[in-house]
Amino acid sequence: MATSNSNFPSRGNAIFRTLSEAAGVLRAPQRLFPLIYRLASDELHRCFEFRDLYSYTKTVRESDTVLNALMAWILSAQRPDGGIAAYYSLLTGWSASYPEVTGYLVPTLYDFSGRTCDPRAASTAGRATDWLLSLQMPDGSFPGGLHGTESRPSVFNTGQILQGLVRAAAETEHAKVQQAAIAAGEWLVSVQSEDGSWSGEAAYQNAAHSYYSMVAWSLSELAAQSGDRRFALAAEKNLDWVLSYFRASGWVEGISLRGHPNYLHFIAYVLQGALETAIRLKRNDAIEKVDRSAWALLRKFETNKNLCGAYETNFKNGHQFTCLTGNAQMSCVWLRLFEAAGDLRYLNAALKMNELLKQLVPASGRGVAGGVAGSYPIWGRYQPLRYISWGCKFFADALMLEDRMKRSLDRTASEELACAS
Amino acid sequence: MRIVILASSIYSETSCAAAVRLADAGFAPVGALTLSTWNAKTLLRKARQWGVGDAARYARSKIAPERSSAYRLRNSYLNPLLHRDGNLFRNLRQVASAYNFPVATCGDQNAPSSVAQLRRWAPDLMIFTGGNILRQPLLAVPRLGVLNAHLGLLPEIRGMSSPEWSLLTGFPAGVTIHYMDAGIDTGPILRRCELPDAHVCSSLADLRNRLIAFGIEKIAEVVSALEAGKIAATPQPETNGRARPFFVMHELLQARAAKRGVGRPAPAETVSA
Repeated sequence: MATSNSNFPSRGNAIFRTLSEAAGVLRAPQRLFPLIYRLASDELHRCFEFRDLYSYTKTVRESDTVLNALMAWILSAQRPDGGIAAYYSLLTGWSASYPEVTGYLVPTLYDFSGRTCDPRAASTAGRATDWLLSLQMPDGSFPGGLHGTESRPSVFNTGQILQGLVRAAAETEHAKVQQAAIAAGEWLVSVQSEDGSWSGEAAYQNAAHSYYSMVAWSLSELAAQSGDRRFALAAEKNLDWVLSYFRASGWVEGISLRGHPNYLHFIAYVLQGALETAIRLKRNDAIEKVDRSAWALLRKFETNKNLCGAYETNFKNGHQFTCLTGNAQMSCVWLRLFEAAGDLRYLNAALKMNELLKQLVPASGRGVAGGVAGSYPIWGRYQPLRYISWGCKFFADALMLEDRMKRSLDRTASEELACAS
Repeated sequence: MRIVILASSIYSETSCAAAVRLADAGFAPVGALTLSTWNAKTLLRKARQWGVGDAARYARSKIAPERSSAYRLRNSYLNPLLHRDGNLFRNLRQVASAYNFPVATCGDQNAPSSVAQLRRWAPDLMIFTGGNILRQPLLAVPRLGVLNAHLGLLPEIRGMSSPEWSLLTGFPAGVTIHYMDAGIDTGPILRRCELPDAHVCSSLADLRNRLIAFGIEKIAEVVSALEAGKIAATPQPETNGRARPFFVMHELLQARAAKRGVGRPAPAETVSA
């Protein structure tokens, strides 16, 4: 998700952008009908759909069908320049290419390609990587925002793109990709503060944010791949800084987005980044802290049958809309915790969360079929009236993880039967 | 000992069987408080839980059995308790009439009027066989407390879908008789009992039915022991919040639980014994 200034505008900018988006329907009136259909559909769904104890305990849509639809949406979101669009807006259509999301979609594309032997996913990842390399600045950093809107380097975007470069380097073994990844990593290390955080001009709103744990994750991946300890040390330093923001209730401080609530997407970022870094660096103390937060959210999901789109301190005063991307990320976190510690309650919650999300992926509609909306209902506060590429990415990741966990369960069951006989 | 039954519905087989079993043991209830089957809240809850079609079938099933001679219990393990002298107890009112105790219905067991009714019965003990999550004013009514037969071994298997979670996690299936408190299955334990031959169950539903019947037996034993002063409750071990509850199980895990734990032949040593 973008953390550039262009995507978090001031109030004046926000009004201008809203008017500009609304004018999109005037430019293309044919968008009016899908827009009205989607608004009416979500309203009806909300009125007549029930959430109760037994919601989502049954498979209504097959995971494979939905995963294929998600990946088809991602492939269709690739722009002629090779980048992936940030979103499809019901008002303005496809956005420009988005370097940050293009970067961290690369591992998802390779995962899907490896799973299905679909050459289109791998070739999309290859074109995306080439486009990213063309954007890299001489110092190794990458710019923030949508393509063409910003030229300042961005820590978060560089970190997210690094994830894609590391994976692309492993898949293609191209030296130029590996060099680009190392250069990006070195830039991140060079601008890291003494305490392990990233702040200053290259950080969003010039402030340090705990959700930059995602950057630490990328650095830890780079360290594992390149064998360069500098990156592991930088990742660990940031992890320690992030862990100081975990509270006894499971709440995480330090998201620090001025003018915005603590969207579930960012809370989940903190957890996901810290968990993956901790797993990579074998830091059990960090896994325990993430576990406490993940459990707090699991309880909320299991008792309310939904997670709120945003929370205030200590998970109080949840905002009454659903941030679908945050839900998908929490599914990933729960599945990874299950994988790390074997607690079946996490797998159970993730299966149910995936059922919830599967039911909200449209089966038809131009720019919409296979897409994941920013919010449910579509007019919710997070990325309203848009189907966003990072939502598809995290949900596709969650479904592929789910499949891996199911297979591992089957293997365990077969082994048990073999032992018994 | 003055005992009151808390029931989720007047048609609850579990509630009827518990009342009969306690009466047979010499502890005929002094009253039963049940949730109203026909109020809008209950029907809406059922519609949300099962969908409108199944809720309509549920509603119809509550009328049809009264008139049908081919009526069969959903839980066949309760047959010995509910079949008496060629007749079948089909609802709590029939049991109440046979054992001479009143039945009150309510929309919410925690409502002040329900609590007032319970106070009028002045119970020593209440037996929870279904209904709402109980709040403190209600929990404080009986002299000794509210007993629950939880279908899992506490403190390890807390929360929902307990028989299924027991199987899936490889924990023995059983019941725990405990006093209820404000937490989820966190009250003091009176007795933990493993279900013998749990592996011979044919399905998850079969296991659940057996556990319900087993739990009713154990409740009767515990009430007798309480009357005789031969049993004391043990607080559950302090776990620093680590004893996490289980929640409703997804069907995919249910299928794995079933594969793992039911319909398997008994281990050789058990057969020879």
